[in-house]
Amino acid sequence: MFFRSIKGLLPALLGVGFFLLMGAACLVALLRYSELHAWLGYLQQPYLWRVVRFSLWQALLSSGISLLIAIPVASCLMHRRFYGRGALLQLFSVSMVVPTIVAILGLVVVYGRSGWLSQFLGIQVPLYGLTGILLAHVFFNMPLAVRLLLQGYDLIPAGQWRQATQLGFTRWTAFRWIEWHYMKKVLPGAFVLIFMLCFSSFAVVLSLGGGPKFSTLEVAIYQALRFDFDLNKASFLALLQVMICSLFALLVYRIAPVNRQDVSLLALTRYPLKDSYWARFADGVALLCVFVLVIPPFVAIFGPIFSPLFFETLQSLALWQAVLVSLQIALPAALVSVLLGICFAVLARFCMGRPYLAFLPNKIEHLGNLILMVPGLVIATGLFLALRDVGWGLPSSYWIVVWVNAVMALPFVLRALMPVMYQQERRFRNVYLSLGIQSWSRWRLEWPLVRVNVAQALGYALLLSLGDMGVIALFGSQGLVSLPLYLFQLIGSYRLAEGSCVAVVLILLCLMLFYGSSRFVGGKVGGVNVKN
Amino acid sequence: MNTFSFSTLFSAAIVSVGVTFSPLMLAKDTLNVYTYDSFASDWGPGPKIKANFEKTCDCEVNFVALDSSVGILSRVQLEGQSSQADVLLGLDLNLMEAAKKSGLLLEHSVDTSNVTVPGGWSDKIFVPFDQGHFAFIYNSDTLQNPPTSLKDVVDNTNLRVIYQDPRTSTPGLGLLLWMKSVYGEDAADAWARLAGHTVTVTKSWSDAYSMFLKGEADVVLSYTTSPAYHIVVEGETKYRAAMASEGLYPQIEVAAMMKNAPNSVLAQQFMQFILQPGFQSTVATGNWMLPVIELDETLPAAFDSALKPSKNLVLSAKDVAEHRGAWVDEWLNATTR
Repeated sequence: MFFRSIKGLLPALLGVGFFLLMGAACLVALLRYSELHAWLGYLQQPYLWRVVRFSLWQALLSSGISLLIAIPVASCLMHRRFYGRGALLQLFSVSMVVPTIVAILGLVVVYGRSGWLSQFLGIQVPLYGLTGILLAHVFFNMPLAVRLLLQGYDLIPAGQWRQATQLGFTRWTAFRWIEWHYMKKVLPGAFVLIFMLCFSSFAVVLSLGGGPKFSTLEVAIYQALRFDFDLNKASFLALLQVMICSLFALLVYRIAPVNRQDVSLLALTRYPLKDSYWARFADGVALLCVFVLVIPPFVAIFGPIFSPLFFETLQSLALWQAVLVSLQIALPAALVSVLLGICFAVLARFCMGRPYLAFLPNKIEHLGNLILMVPGLVIATGLFLALRDVGWGLPSSYWIVVWVNAVMALPFVLRALMPVMYQQERRFRNVYLSLGIQSWSRWRLEWPLVRVNVAQALGYALLLSLGDMGVIALFGSQGLVSLPLYLFQLIGSYRLAEGSCVAVVLILLCLMLFYGSSRFVGGKVGGVNVKN
Repeated sequence: MNTFSFSTLFSAAIVSVGVTFSPLMLAKDTLNVYTYDSFASDWGPGPKIKANFEKTCDCEVNFVALDSSVGILSRVQLEGQSSQADVLLGLDLNLMEAAKKSGLLLEHSVDTSNVTVPGGWSDKIFVPFDQGHFAFIYNSDTLQNPPTSLKDVVDNTNLRVIYQDPRTSTPGLGLLLWMKSVYGEDAADAWARLAGHTVTVTKSWSDAYSMFLKGEADVVLSYTTSPAYHIVVEGETKYRAAMASEGLYPQIEVAAMMKNAPNSVLAQQFMQFILQPGFQSTVATGNWMLPVIELDETLPAAFDSALKPSKNLVLSAKDVAEHRGAWVDEWLNATTR
C-alpha cells in the first residue's frame, strides 16, 4: 500500500528533487569560491549590522502596516458589492509587478515636491526617508495582502455565513467569531511573504530612503556581486539574509496558531449580514485608505495613455518584439512554476496524513519559500557558475532565465495553492483512500475544486516572470530584450516619456494575462471577484 | 476546456523555445561584441556601427546587450575562459584595473596617437571610444543661480541635490572620485555637508535623472553632454550643465578584446575600426558622448558647452583601484553620521 502510493507520488518527488538538485548545484558552485575565514571579518563590520537592523525595522513596519490596512479592506471587499469592485481587484493583482522605477516615479508624481499633493492641496509630504519607503511598500504589498486574505475568506464554509445571517450577526461579530478565525490561517504566511519582499527591497529603499543611511542587505549583495565581483562576500551576505529571514519565519510560525484545517465546504452562496452605520463607516475608511495610497500612483502611472506619444510607442516594432520575448519567458516559466508548486503541494499533503511524516509539510512549504530570501541575482549567478562547471555555456541562458523566474515565483504559487490543497486533503482523504482513487484519477476529480486557485497561482507566476528585471539583465543577449528591459533601456537613454508609455503597456499586458488566466484556467465562475 | 487551455500553454511554450534559438544558426563569421543595453538599442549607436563595420568585412556583428558597463565585466568574469565574447565595448576608466586583473583581456595593436582625450592615451589593453565629463545638470527655468563650482554644490544648503550611489552606479563612482580630487583629505566633511541637502542617492543613473526630470531636485549628477540630448531630440534648451571652476572629472569609455576571442582576426579589425570615422561619427548623437578623434564634420552646436571643460581632473587608475573601497567607506561613514 505504502509503495503503491509512493509510486503515484513519483512525479511530485521528481519535481521537488529537481528543485533541490538545482538549488544544491547553485549553492555548491557559489561556495566553491568562498573563503570561510573572511566571513568572520565581514561579521564585524558595524555598517552591516546597522543595515540589518534597519532592514528588519522597515520590513516589520511595512508588512505590519500593509496587513493592518489589508484586513479591513479585504473584509469590505468581501461583503460589499459596488461598481468598480472587480476592476479594483484586478488592479490589486498587478501592483506588485509594477517595475520599481515606474512605481517610484508614480509616487513622486503624487507625493513629490512638485507633485499633486503639494500642487493642489499644498501638502508637503516628507517623501524621502522612512515615509517614502513605507508608502512604496504599502503600494506594492497591501493589494497583495488583500488578495491573499480573500483566499482565506474562500475557505469559510457557506454554513457559517448562513448561521451568521440567521443569528443576526453584525459585521463586527461576524468578523470576531468567523472571519478572524480564518484570517489567522492566512495571516502568518502573508506576513512572512511580505516581510521578505520588503526585507530584500532594493531600488525603492535606495531611491526613496534619501541617502545611504537607509539601505538593505540586497544593496550590499548587488555591490559585491556586480561592482566587486566578490563571489565570496556575495554568498556570505546571501546566506546571512537567508538565515535572518528563516529565523523570522520560524518565529512567526512559532507564535502563530497551529494551522488546523477544517473539514469544511466551500462557500458558494453569499449571505448578507446586518448593515450598520458603524460598518459603513469602517468600510468607508478602509476604501479611503485604498483611494489615498494605491489609486493615485496608479493614476499617475496610467497618465501617459492619453498622450499622442502613447500611440506612437504602440506602433514601434521593438515594443512588440519585447512583448513577444516577455511572453516567451513568462509562459513557460509560469507553467514550470505551477507544476513545481503542485509537486510541492502533493508531497506536503502526502506527508500530512501520516503521523511519522507529519512534521514535514511545514518544512516543505518553507523550502519553497526559502527561494524568496535569496536574491534572484545570486541564484542566477550560482546556476550560471554551476552550468559553466558542467560545460554548458551561453545557449542555455534562455532556460536559466525561465527556470530562475519559475523558481522565484514559487512562494507566490505556494501561497495560492497550499490552503486549498490542504483543505481538499482533509475533506476527501478518507473517501479517496477507501475507493482507491489515486494520482491522475484523483486529480481529475479535484481539478474543478482547485482550478480557481491554480489559476491564481498561474496568474501570479505569469506576472512575476513578466515583470522580472534582475535575472534577464544578467543573461541579456541580442535576442532577449523583454518588456521591462526595453523600458529600462528607454529610461536609461533619456527617453523617459516613451519609457512611461511602455510601462503602461506592461501593466496592461499583466492585467490581461491575469484576467485571462483566471478566466480560462479558473473557469467561468472562478475567482473571488465573480462569486456571488 | 481545461485540457484546451493547458495544451495551448504548452504549445506556446514549445513554439517560444524554437523562436528563441533560431537566431543562433548563422553562416557568416560572427563577431560577438558585449556592450551595455542603450549602446546596442535601436536609437543608440550600435545599429549604425554594425552596418558600417559590416561594409568593411564579410561578417556579422552580434551585439550582446548587458544591463550596464559593470554588467559587461561581471558577465565575462562569470563566463571565464569559455566566454564567447570577442570584444568588450563599454567599460570605463574606473573598471579598467579590475578588468585587467581578470586576465581575460589581450593587448591591442591599435595606433592611439591621434586620440584626443586630455593627456593622450597610452594604455596597451584598452582603446577609448568616447569621452565626456561628469557634471551637475540643472533646469535653467527654475534655478536662477546655478552653481559654478563643486564647492557651490556642496555648500549651498538651498540646493536640492540628487546623485547616484557609488556602490552601484558608474556616475556615482565618478562623483566619489571628483570629490576626492577636489577635496582630498577633507572629502569626508564635504560629503557630510552635501548630505544635509541631498534629496536622495539612487541606485542608478536612470532613477536619478528621471526623478530630476519630474522636478524633485535642483541639480542631478549626469554628464556635460546631457543637455545636448534635450536640444537635439526634444528641442528643449532649458536643461544646462553646471560648469565647475575646480575642473571636471572625465568619463572615458573603453573597449578591449578577449584573449580567448573565438574570432580574434575580426576582433583585431574591430579594435582598429573603433578609432575610424565609421565608428566615431556615431557616438555624439547616438550615445550622447563626445568622439575621441578629430572628425571632419563638426558636431551639432548643442554639444558646444560640453566641448570646453575648464580643467580635467583625473586620478590614476591604480590609485582608484587601490583606494576605492576605503573611499566608499569614507563616503558611507560621512553620509550616515
